[in-house]
Amino acid sequence: MKRFLKKRTRKIILNSIIAIVAFLVLAIELYPIAITVINGFRRDINILSGQPLQLKQLTFRSYELVLKNAGFRLGMQNSIIVGLLSTAISVMIGAMASYGIARFRFKGRNGLAYSFLVFRMLPQISLVISLYLMFSAVGLRDTITGITLAHTSFNVPYVIWLLLPFFTAVDKAYEEAAMVDGCTRQGVFFKIFLPIVAPGLVVAAVFAFLNSWNEFMYALILTGVKAKTAPIAINGLLGGETLTWGQACAAGTIMLVPVFIFTLAMQKFLIRGITAGGVKG
Amino acid sequence: MSSRKPATELLRAQVQSGKARRRAPFLFLAPAIIVVFAVLIFPIIFSLFVSTYNWPLSQGAGVRRFVGFGNYTALAQDPEFWNSLKLQLGFIFIAIPIELLFGFAAALLLNREFFGAKIVRSLLLLPVFFLPILSGMTWRFMLQPRYGPLNALLLKLGAPEITWLGNPATAYAAIIVQDIWRMWPFMFMLLYAALTAIPQELMEAAEIDGAGFWLKLRSLTIPLLMPTILTAILLRIIDALRVFSEVYVMTEGGPGSATMLFSLYTQRQAFGYQKVGMASAMAIFLLVLSIVFALTLVRKNMSLDVLEEKAGA
Repeated sequence: MKRFLKKRTRKIILNSIIAIVAFLVLAIELYPIAITVINGFRRDINILSGQPLQLKQLTFRSYELVLKNAGFRLGMQNSIIVGLLSTAISVMIGAMASYGIARFRFKGRNGLAYSFLVFRMLPQISLVISLYLMFSAVGLRDTITGITLAHTSFNVPYVIWLLLPFFTAVDKAYEEAAMVDGCTRQGVFFKIFLPIVAPGLVVAAVFAFLNSWNEFMYALILTGVKAKTAPIAINGLLGGETLTWGQACAAGTIMLVPVFIFTLAMQKFLIRGITAGGVKG
Repeated sequence: MSSRKPATELLRAQVQSGKARRRAPFLFLAPAIIVVFAVLIFPIIFSLFVSTYNWPLSQGAGVRRFVGFGNYTALAQDPEFWNSLKLQLGFIFIAIPIELLFGFAAALLLNREFFGAKIVRSLLLLPVFFLPILSGMTWRFMLQPRYGPLNALLLKLGAPEITWLGNPATAYAAIIVQDIWRMWPFMFMLLYAALTAIPQELMEAAEIDGAGFWLKLRSLTIPLLMPTILTAILLRIIDALRVFSEVYVMTEGGPGSATMLFSLYTQRQAFGYQKVGMASAMAIFLLVLSIVFALTLVRKNMSLDVLEEKAGA
């Protein structure tokens, strides 16, 4: 009994120490994020003069300024349009391809599936230079179509592999029953299969949107004035003579809101979302 | 359902679906194949083509002419190329082991229930999903000499002011620390998931046999986690090979070329020096390197077969 108690107290002490360490580490990990959010509520003058944070500094001034900033507004609008367009295209095309791989046996099936997986992992810099030359030649540079197409290049292979585990998990009996009733393959896919895998499609859409939302390099190189996305506009806020930290952080916080909402809402799917195909099942 | 249909109709449906079965996979796959060809395969082929040319970005920057492997041999003699490769590999070999170590330690420590454990485990993942450009921006702010929080703290402690991003060694260290800060929770996420999947009975059996913490760790936990560890390292290598935006925002490769990682130098070659041919040769080099790692990952995991076994079970 005495030994049992001793073991129990030891466990409580150990757990408390671990809890303290864990919260300390968490504080360090969240500090840079907190700084970004807090600086968005401060004036540039307070930030640049190195004043310590005081409650009375907090203001919406930087938000007002950045929301009036034509460049950021355009960037935000483009980010939303490009994100939605590339997500819609990628989920549609990716779902079809994923179904093709999950449900058919054909020559070269493995090779095709694995090459999609490899395509997902290619470095952007290896593609962006020729995309720049190609887009320049056909007038797609600095257009919404061009940057959407570029984002589709990483989102299509991504969606295919994100959806595969959802698709292979569906019982074939539903489709077979519908086929026996005379439904075509296409009919089965659209009317029977897609409704069943709707949750998977939502997960794929959210992560594809975030991929596009966070993307920087393609936007930096392939867009200019008209089709620039929000990350480029934020970078621009830090490129001038004066560093407008307050505005940049306010803009960054606005961009962060959908990211963190989705991240926390999709806890269950985060590993699948971030590794898509890179990790078994 | 099928029992209500006459036999002839059933047969016809089966013949039809048999015919469709041969054509159907390509109907479903064609759009994806077309997109992948247009925005991935064709650009790669085009890059290969451009890499054999002296290809100025604009007409003012010179004449376009065929040079064969000239760009590749020129790269081999370019000290800046070797510098960027060295910095890139250093980045990978320093950051990833530390991330693995932190992630593994955190997975072990947090694999128990204490007050707030769930909150810690989920909020810890936020840096992974923090936008890379915001990470670069925030670190750039924190390391500012005059008003950055880090220097403010150091000054209070009586240390001299340091221009972290203005000094080659500290700037390089800073971009690595930034990456470690953001990505060790990624290692934690994968390792923790694998750790919780280890059957509890195994651990209990080992405890009954008198195995202590270290023995359990060495002979049970680490061997069981090995596949996940390897996968996580490969995923991180593939990801770290293409690091660009956070470093671009933080230092733009500077000071000098102290943080000029591979992607940054390639971008500089193409759009700074306007040498698109040279940049394409670099792009192909990195592409080959990435494909080697990606294929290793794919071969190791063979996810497709595993998926089917799971679905069949």
